[in-house]
Amino acid sequence: MSDNKPYVPTDYAGRLAKTFIRSPLTPLLGIFLLILGYLSLQIMPREENPQMVVSGSTVIVALPGANAKEVEKIIVQPLERKLKEVKGIEHIYSMAMDNVAVVNAAFFIGEEKEDSNLKVYDKVLQNMDILPKGAMQPIIKPLDIDVDIPIVSVAFYANKKDMPASELYDKVKAIQHHINGLDNVAVTDVKGGHKHQFNIKVDLFKLSGYNLSMGQILKAVQALSYSVPTIKNETKDNEIVMLGIKNAIDKAEDIGNIIVSSYMGSPIYLKQVAEVTKSYDIQNFKSAQISLRNKDGKFTPLQEQVTLTVSKLQGTNAVLISDAVKEELEKYKEEINKVGISYVITRNDGHRADEAVNELVYHLVLSIVIIAILLVFVLGWRESLIVTFTVPAILAVTLFVAYITGQTVNRITLFAFLLSLGLLVDAAIIVIENIHRHFHSKEAQTMNTDELMIMATDEVGPPTNIATLAIILTMVPMAFVGQMMGQFMKPIPANVPVALVASLFIAYIFTPYLATRLLKKPHHKEEEH
Amino acid sequence: MFKKFENAVYNGLNSKGKKTFILLGTLLGFILSLMMIPSELVLAKMLPGKNSDTFNIYIDLPTGSSIAQTQVVSNCVVNYVQQEKDVRDTEVFLGMGSPLDFAGLIKGSQFKNSENVAEIVLNLSPKHHRKEPSYLMVQRMRNVIQKGCDINGAKISFVEPPAGPPVMAAIVAEVYGNNAEGIRHLAKKIENVFSHTKGLVDIDIMQDDIYDKFEVKVDSIKIARSGLNVKQVNDILYLAFEGMEIAVKNSPIYDDQIPIFLTLSSKTKDFTNKSKMAIQSKMASLKLMNTRGMMVPITEVVSISAVKSNPMIMAKNLHQMVNVMAETDMVSQVYPLMDARNEIINTFSDAYEISKIGLFNLELKDKKTAKVYQLIWDGEMEVTLDTFVELGAAFIAALVLIFLLMVVYYKSFKLSGIILIGSFLSIIGVIVGHFIMDVFIEGTFFLTATSLIGFIALIGISSRNSLLLIDFTKSLMIEKGMGQKAAIAFATATRAKPIFLTAVAIILASTLLASDAVFGGLGVSLIFGTIAAVVASLIVVPILMDNSNLQEEFNK
Repeated sequence: MSDNKPYVPTDYAGRLAKTFIRSPLTPLLGIFLLILGYLSLQIMPREENPQMVVSGSTVIVALPGANAKEVEKIIVQPLERKLKEVKGIEHIYSMAMDNVAVVNAAFFIGEEKEDSNLKVYDKVLQNMDILPKGAMQPIIKPLDIDVDIPIVSVAFYANKKDMPASELYDKVKAIQHHINGLDNVAVTDVKGGHKHQFNIKVDLFKLSGYNLSMGQILKAVQALSYSVPTIKNETKDNEIVMLGIKNAIDKAEDIGNIIVSSYMGSPIYLKQVAEVTKSYDIQNFKSAQISLRNKDGKFTPLQEQVTLTVSKLQGTNAVLISDAVKEELEKYKEEINKVGISYVITRNDGHRADEAVNELVYHLVLSIVIIAILLVFVLGWRESLIVTFTVPAILAVTLFVAYITGQTVNRITLFAFLLSLGLLVDAAIIVIENIHRHFHSKEAQTMNTDELMIMATDEVGPPTNIATLAIILTMVPMAFVGQMMGQFMKPIPANVPVALVASLFIAYIFTPYLATRLLKKPHHKEEEH
Repeated sequence: MFKKFENAVYNGLNSKGKKTFILLGTLLGFILSLMMIPSELVLAKMLPGKNSDTFNIYIDLPTGSSIAQTQVVSNCVVNYVQQEKDVRDTEVFLGMGSPLDFAGLIKGSQFKNSENVAEIVLNLSPKHHRKEPSYLMVQRMRNVIQKGCDINGAKISFVEPPAGPPVMAAIVAEVYGNNAEGIRHLAKKIENVFSHTKGLVDIDIMQDDIYDKFEVKVDSIKIARSGLNVKQVNDILYLAFEGMEIAVKNSPIYDDQIPIFLTLSSKTKDFTNKSKMAIQSKMASLKLMNTRGMMVPITEVVSISAVKSNPMIMAKNLHQMVNVMAETDMVSQVYPLMDARNEIINTFSDAYEISKIGLFNLELKDKKTAKVYQLIWDGEMEVTLDTFVELGAAFIAALVLIFLLMVVYYKSFKLSGIILIGSFLSIIGVIVGHFIMDVFIEGTFFLTATSLIGFIALIGISSRNSLLLIDFTKSLMIEKGMGQKAAIAFATATRAKPIFLTAVAIILASTLLASDAVFGGLGVSLIFGTIAAVVASLIVVPILMDNSNLQEEFNK
């Protein structure tokens, strides 16, 4: 190790250190990286759980009048055999019930969604001819995790007891349309509630009393509710005259006044044998109820409610969407309060995601601070400061790479960061420790500071490179773990290697740069450290 | 301190007895810690429970129950829920699934559409303001509610948001066979075993119950003779008792078309009781008009008979099967499953010939009918097994890759082997760490999938420690010409500081991981594994290095 000749680096570590140690661009690069990372953290969509690619389709075929055994033989089994031909399907589940067949194709985790949906659709349509006579058109419903799972649900309920069952539904329907118009909202759906309906409830005894059949009533009503398009005719002067034929039914009374038959010359009106009302869908057995804590902390009794659910498009920010939904709801709050409707948000995944992400970011910062304090005691505050700077820079690079590869910020990505935190300070610690050691050795007194830095960095270069490569190699096989768990954990093998590579570069570039400027050559008394 | 450690290492290397003692001790420690897993001192589970702000209660009544009967049960459950001080609001969804979530997606909540089901959503106060974690709440409420609301044969199950990927149930026993009754019988027996197994709750068979129903059979000859047709008879029967939307009215005000719905009034259509007589007398008053304009009572052309319902036939991958499912009550699913399996093997042998297939699966042959059934385990158990196997494979692949890398770097199998052994020893720390955590925390601390991920990351970390050590020794011996023992001792003492520093950094960063439900295993693995790795690389690796001729290895 000569004192006068400039040190010639043998490793990338030394070369990087040499290039950047006197470059005026180095601080700019540092600031640029930090800004890039901060922006990525702000822009990246936030979610609670990572996105999983789960594909599957359900085929439903109805065959009225067939029993379970028949459905199994003539629909389910041929359909199953056909689906077996599709590549990528992991399991085929089937259910044969009276009147209906349900066959569900579950693809291997990670199979592309669009492709898988198309494959099933294709296979079923190609083989329409194997379906038995009398079977209805198959319904093919693809599974879509992003669109199927709502991120926000809101329960609307009436404050007044006497509100008609269908009015609540109407109001929610009106709001639904506005919410669906918000950016990146995929599907909105209404659960519970009752639709408007004219109900004709025929009295069986009166029916037989007047000697009528249900068929007659059916025909009479259908005859009257028939509609045709507008009729176009011309006058003698070739002018067009439009005739709109108004639907004969307007109110419940109109239906009641339908003449269903005549008895001994006098007409029998429908209202004589049936109760006709305009109310809600009485045949719908589904309903939703809610009970919540009122101001004095007691639960209100169960009451009818209508739940509006909102789901987002894949890869969009749950936090922004749920905030937008909340804001939109505020707009209608007063209006619906006036008619006696209140709402409560019963699910807010955006809020949950934001909370989880913020908590983890806080943990991340806390860890960095703790490590910095530790280094102050062992290496001194200047060295500690240098290592502490490298951490945000490394995380910034990793975040940026995650952003451009289309990942989202979620629990697992942040855990990947926490996991890599312990690993990524290592390169900087090893470099700074070696610089520290050389700096405090006797030979350092005669050597140029820059040369010393480059030499110290270069010396630990090869083992650090190999060691980091070793850790990266341990992460690589993890990327090939299949199943749900593999998908779930994907952010770890995706981000930890990036962070490690970044940690090497940052350590080699910035540690010597900062060290020449921050560290002071010690006098002999500090030698024993 | 620095000098002292150097001397200690140097002296240690010079004494053969000490060296053998340490190596044997390490070997013993390694074997003992591995033994903790089969001896169930450390329990394995894919992922532990997660404290969340919401969970669901599913209610399932026997097939054929009415919505009113379901509502009685849901009201009962809500009564209990309303006594909970940590519940903020609760929603009941009758006859359908609640807004879909991760767990519901796999459990088929989105397909629920019948009168015998209901789902209840419980929203809790935020977890930072709540003392009791949601999984303990579930455990406590489960007992009370399942006992208190045992009405109308309802099955009440508690569904928590999964900590990781969702599964159908903790334990799923798939019973395969070619004979529906045989499967049904066997499934019932397995359900019985599950209900006696400690740690299993929310047990259910995924199949329709067979219930009594009545069949209306149309007599086509009589129909033709009375001037009617079969379609007319079917339609009118449906119209009368079920009702139909017979027409629609468009409306500019409302979002949907307004249907016109026709049915008999419920006052006049309800049967007096569930018997053939009641149905017959009701139908006698329902008349049809034939082509000649005459009224024919419907009972003239149909006959009514009592039958059993046709249960749904399920199949998976083209084989007919029935699922028996169970959840675990705060324990790993592995151990109850083994208990239940043993119980099945022991008690079913009088009626079935049992043989084992694969790792845990069973084949049962009915002794009387010679029909063969298979019992295949699925659910979280299957996923856990697959995940652990795949992570294990990833671990071995990582070891091989590191070994190859080292061989490329050092061109020596011996040195690469030393690094590999050094990194393998961190497993002692991982297992012992889980044991220590299990002793200290409330509940069980499981060895989870994330523990394994932590362990895989550890191999890299500890191989780096050994690598730095060997590399420095090499440069000391070759460039400065130091003796083997002196060089090892000096390198160990010098490298102790950065090794300690990086280890402490990892430990500190991981303490925050350790508090998380899902990643606790990862955190604990890293903390204790790193400690073991430091000890291994500062004590065991120098000894291993000294036992080989370094001069020769370095000059390769």
